[in-house]
Amino acid sequence: MLAQPFPLSDYAAILPLTIVATTPLMILLLDLILPKGAPRRDAAVAVGIAGLLLAAYVLVRQYLAHQFAPAFGFGFILGGFSIAFSLIVVAAAIFSLLMVLPQRDDEKVGPSCALMLWSAAGAMLMAGAGDLMTIFLGLEILSLALYCLCGMVLRASPVRLREARESALKYLILSSMASGFMLYGMALLFGATGSVNLAALQAIPAGNPVFAMGCGLFMIGVAFKLGLVPFHVWMPDVFEGAPLPVTAFMSVVTKAGMLAVFARFLYGVLGTDHQALIVPVWIVAGLSMLVGNLAALSQIDMKRLLAYSGIAQLGYIVAALAGTSTLGMRYALFYLGAYTFMNLGAFAVVALISRDQEEDSHLSAFSGLGTRHPLLAAAMAFFLLSLAGLPPTAGFIGKILILASTVAAGYQWLAWLLIAGTAISVYVYIKIVRAMYVPVDLAHIREIRPLSYAPWIAVAVCAVATIALGIYPAALHDVLPRIR
Amino acid sequence: MLTALVLGTTLLAFLAFAFPKSANGAAKWYGVAVALAGLVLLELMDPAAFPPDESARWLSYPFASNFHLGMGGVSYALVQLLATVTVCALLATNVPRQRNFVGLMLLLEATMLGLFLAKDLLLFALLWDAMLIPVFLLMIGWSVHPATAWRYLIYNVAGGLLLLLGTATYGVIYGTTDVIGKGQVTPISDAWAPWILAAFAVAFLVKTPVFPFHTWMPDTYAELPSPVAAVVSSVQSKAGLYGFIAIGLPLFTAWTHEFATVMIVLGTIGLLYGAVIALVADDAKKVVAYSSLSHLGLILIAIFVFNDYALRGAVVYIVAHGFFSAAMFLVIGYVETREETRLVSRIGGLARGSPILAGAMAIAALAALGLPGLAGFAGELFILTGVYQAGYAWLAALALVAIVLAAAYMLRVYQGFMHGPEQADLPQRPDLRPLEIVAVAPLFLALVLLGVNPGPVANYPDQAYTMLAEKR
Repeated sequence: MLAQPFPLSDYAAILPLTIVATTPLMILLLDLILPKGAPRRDAAVAVGIAGLLLAAYVLVRQYLAHQFAPAFGFGFILGGFSIAFSLIVVAAAIFSLLMVLPQRDDEKVGPSCALMLWSAAGAMLMAGAGDLMTIFLGLEILSLALYCLCGMVLRASPVRLREARESALKYLILSSMASGFMLYGMALLFGATGSVNLAALQAIPAGNPVFAMGCGLFMIGVAFKLGLVPFHVWMPDVFEGAPLPVTAFMSVVTKAGMLAVFARFLYGVLGTDHQALIVPVWIVAGLSMLVGNLAALSQIDMKRLLAYSGIAQLGYIVAALAGTSTLGMRYALFYLGAYTFMNLGAFAVVALISRDQEEDSHLSAFSGLGTRHPLLAAAMAFFLLSLAGLPPTAGFIGKILILASTVAAGYQWLAWLLIAGTAISVYVYIKIVRAMYVPVDLAHIREIRPLSYAPWIAVAVCAVATIALGIYPAALHDVLPRIR
Repeated sequence: MLTALVLGTTLLAFLAFAFPKSANGAAKWYGVAVALAGLVLLELMDPAAFPPDESARWLSYPFASNFHLGMGGVSYALVQLLATVTVCALLATNVPRQRNFVGLMLLLEATMLGLFLAKDLLLFALLWDAMLIPVFLLMIGWSVHPATAWRYLIYNVAGGLLLLLGTATYGVIYGTTDVIGKGQVTPISDAWAPWILAAFAVAFLVKTPVFPFHTWMPDTYAELPSPVAAVVSSVQSKAGLYGFIAIGLPLFTAWTHEFATVMIVLGTIGLLYGAVIALVADDAKKVVAYSSLSHLGLILIAIFVFNDYALRGAVVYIVAHGFFSAAMFLVIGYVETREETRLVSRIGGLARGSPILAGAMAIAALAALGLPGLAGFAGELFILTGVYQAGYAWLAALALVAIVLAAAYMLRVYQGFMHGPEQADLPQRPDLRPLEIVAVAPLFLALVLLGVNPGPVANYPDQAYTMLAEKR
């Protein structure tokens, strides 16, 4: 079979991925041609976004055309599942690119955009991966680009630069270790079944020790990349040190890619036969909700706070999958979509209120925002309400859907942990709302003029989506039944 | 029409934020106009033929859930109370950054209108959480101590989350959450029903609040700006009691009987404990806050003795308490703006210089202590009759003790403020301005009307009464 070339339709299946992977070449080319300054910066971001929009268009066309097919001998599986995750990745990449613009370093804007797109391509590959090789390939494409991105601080002071390097190195070392775990797990899985194909792995009977061990190591790698407790310690440091757009990007794209892998492994390989093997994952998810929110309580840096909150949010999403029900898959996707909007919206607001020289993500930057920038503050308030799971936002609907799916699957204890975690998180997020709206003496606060208004687009889109999904969830919700 | 009422108020509330900074006075009158329009719309309704329900599909999976609004007798009593109190509170408003204040007050009204009209559990749970947010923003924006604001939010959100968990469980088991006001629906299995009811009950008890979940309440009521305190104490606190009447009794009929003993005991503790603390508290607003604990405990008892008189009395007393506690908070607010303190021990002899203020306080206090002819008496009489008829003679006797104590603590506040020697070191301020009189007058009018003829409020047709009758 390998002797024959793959049919052309296989290449059509990965067209969106190809678009996202080749756009960076154009960005780098333009980076050489265009004059230094605004044109070069704007062109890099504009071309990147255009490429992503084109990919999104193709993805939607594929979805509407019901092109659900395996390609490259089950190496890549095109379907509602991969398309949904890819769309989330693409949306997250667009929002992150919009946040790059306020940075004023011509040398690094182009390469940053290019690396982000390559990283996104890796995540899209993971979303459609049908065998272990593709999974690992996608993961490495995603991660390699991110190692560079973490260290690429724009307009940096020496202190900031050191932080960024620390972040990059930490990410490189810890992430490689997780990849190692995963790879070892994959090797054992291959040893147990003689195939790297996920569909073939499914045939293994329950109770095979090699298979169980392979699963365990694989899951450790997954939990590590998702940042679930107790494999979460790298996240806050890496998130804090990395440049803001990269942090924003990582907070959604790496998670979406890995969630897709996890979900496909869970539904496709483990199914209902190997439930015992994955119980630890639900425990880990429950712990993440508690620990993530508890640790976020005392954070005073917005990026660290969002890192810890992300740990908890991922816990909610993984909890939705408990019980391996079709509904659970949909609600995980719904919440991931909601999380994309509310989390990146919040990051975009941070990007906008960063001051001239340094990006400023300290919580004090929010004080008095309600008076200074009423609209921005209102949008931020909605993002935070949504993250806290309060109405009328997407986060609220997402929470009730996850609660329903965990209860329906018989995991009441997870539902209780979710409630407890959410109760704690209310303080985490509403603390910022409070900082924005407590009356302050404005004389002490320096007026901020964002260096670029591009993140406003992200804020506006995310705010509309967050509220619209909260008021009319059917908009996204009714699309989900077609995802399998 | 109901949808228009709720969504219209919401949209018009957001418009208030768009007022220019210079138009703070205009914003207040805008708010009054919006709230008044809502009230007029409600008063035009015919209690014998409420407008038809309005419903739109909201979620199909994992359970059917609708944006379903409908009017019932108990809802009607509560939304009338809400609209009236909001109008009065906005009339009495005099704070900095008024447009934002007005916007948040209207949002509060809109969310609570939706809550009392919601016929879907999920919508109810959503609005339950949503109504906390305007109050929290009002707290942090208008100088309530942060710890108090946090306590309010965390307590009530925790309750709201339990409500949410209960709703999700109910939906998963029953397949739909569109069940409020449907009459007796098929009861869900005994393995689940008590847990769901318990989750709901905790949420309701925290919101009301009932002992031992009341610790957030005294500081909240005392520190809130008076107009907000009026709305929160008189209407928002009734959401929990409304929940028991509209959700607890019809959906979990058998299990509410199992829960009755606990509820009656908690209500009785609150009834007596609240009255005793009110007797010694020095802060006048805290006196009213603890008196609420006492009065709402009585209403909780009335709901859980499963007697027609008691239940109707509970509704009458809910409305009556709404009017007199709003009046008390507004009047104490007037005193506070004049004397810059509200300590009973500190103020004295106001009646000499401000006879109208003294009169207003007298009416509010007399209504609160249950003077015949005013609304409080009507409700208490109904409830005591019902409780006695249900066979709880000792409870009726205990309630009488609390009612006597109510006379003591209300008159103590009145006496302390209005009589005795004038305090020379406190500022001499003029009597009530016409606008301040206009702001409390509707409350007094309502107290008298309801006191003389509680019949209409007690007789709004509602499925809660018919179900109780069928049960017996």
